Amino acid sequence: MNLLPDTYHIQQTFSAFCRTGEKVKLPGVAPDRLKHYRRLVFNMINDTMENAFPIAYNNIPARKWKSMVKDFFSHHACQSYQVWKLPLEFYTYAVEHNWEEVYELPYLHDLLAFEWAEMEVYNMEDIPAEPYALAGDWLETPLVLNPEHRLLSFSYPVHLVAKPKALLANKGIYFVLLYRHPETGNVEFMDLSPWLAFLTEQLVLGITVKDILDYAPQLHITDTDTLEQDTLNFLKQMQQQHFVLGFQL
Amino acid sequence: MVGVGFRREFAEELINGEHIRPDFIEFAPENWMNIGGYWKKVLHRVVEKYPVLCHGLSLSIGSPEALNKEFLQYIKAFLNEYKVQLYSEHLSYSKCDNAHLYDLLPIPFRMDAVKHIATRIQQVQDYLQRPLVMEIVSYYTPVAAEMSEVDFIKEVVKQSGCQLLLDVNNIYVNAFNHQYDAKAFITQLPLDKVAYIHMAGHEQVAPDLIIDTHGEPIIDPVYDLFEWTLQHLQPVPVLLERDFNIPEMAELQGELSRLKSICHKQWKLKNELVA
Repeated sequence: MNLLPDTYHIQQTFSAFCRTGEKVKLPGVAPDRLKHYRRLVFNMINDTMENAFPIAYNNIPARKWKSMVKDFFSHHACQSYQVWKLPLEFYTYAVEHNWEEVYELPYLHDLLAFEWAEMEVYNMEDIPAEPYALAGDWLETPLVLNPEHRLLSFSYPVHLVAKPKALLANKGIYFVLLYRHPETGNVEFMDLSPWLAFLTEQLVLGITVKDILDYAPQLHITDTDTLEQDTLNFLKQMQQQHFVLGFQL
Repeated sequence: MVGVGFRREFAEELINGEHIRPDFIEFAPENWMNIGGYWKKVLHRVVEKYPVLCHGLSLSIGSPEALNKEFLQYIKAFLNEYKVQLYSEHLSYSKCDNAHLYDLLPIPFRMDAVKHIATRIQQVQDYLQRPLVMEIVSYYTPVAAEMSEVDFIKEVVKQSGCQLLLDVNNIYVNAFNHQYDAKAFITQLPLDKVAYIHMAGHEQVAPDLIIDTHGEPIIDPVYDLFEWTLQHLQPVPVLLERDFNIPEMAELQGELSRLKSICHKQWKLKNELVA
């Protein structure tokens, strides 16, 4: 490296100021001009997070939100060279630093995870599906699912309600399927029962519906009279909605 | 050739080509790498219609740290996949202490920085197997400078062998902010190395400070400086940048037409004189 330690240090000091806003002394720098760099850099990060997490941004008091973004940008070394992926680092930082408790927002991690998943599924690289037939045996043939999806579980219904009071009042176990519509590219999401979440998880592994149904009693699902028909109705509906693509060849 | 920066906000209008018709488009690879779905389809449609130039954001040529080889691999593959005719970047840094800052920070105008950057530019050019076109960035304060800005740029070009992206608005902004003569500055540059021109709008935020926003129309004094500059250059592609406050397409097309008319006037005249 040709850079002298002094120049290296000056660049570090300048960038540290942009990240933290804390006063620095730099030779030849006009302080009234320096502040604009902090403003521009911080606004860019803040705007990125506001756009990525619009529900969280609206739910969280402005003072807390600003504190979160400042904390994140000051202390976290942003790794993504693509700014659209930066919200994942924000979410990860929140979990690692236990923001649910720090900011007394018990649903925060679920909400950030849900909003990031929407963005991720919308932008993610195309994943080719396995070859499939449009018709087949629903029970015996492994199904081919739309590979551009995420199956998430939450303790708060962040995919169903936005208001903090309603979220807190409905703590429970929730499962959400998000997938990218192959034609429109839009992200569709739906609330799943625990059984349907289990079913989806197993189908992804290539297990047949029949084998999954056989496992139902072990999940303490005793009301099996209509389970098979309800399950098949769900899968047929999901075929119409382009999540179930077809039957393995 | 006069092109426009490709933005998602007017992607369909560009593909449609009814109200805006640039000669080429430019976009940042970082905004389009590793994506799929709807926007990948849009990208393919627009690339089929227009020649593509790319203007990077995250190379951070002025960083104290080593170049990111994984990033360069993606860039190389992307430029080849989309048959990108020219790849430019910024003479600044946007990463330090292993942290991206997503903005263009000013490099100290110092000889050790020149050597450091020249080496890195050569490494990038060798790896990408194409010339790197470096943009002279707008900056709001010098930082620990030991040489003039123009000497710094001249040395980087001389030692690295890179080409220059002359953002005429940046020169106007810098001349205003640092109180120098924009034409005198341009005259001192190695103008035979200019491979690309950018034009954009800006915002004056204080009596003595302009911020380079790309969010306003180009102002007349910048058009005047552009016209003057063309008299000293061979024909190169010219780009209109508009990243925020996107206006009606008729307004953008009006700016493109005005730029094209100036290019035609100045470069046609020059070619006739040469002939």
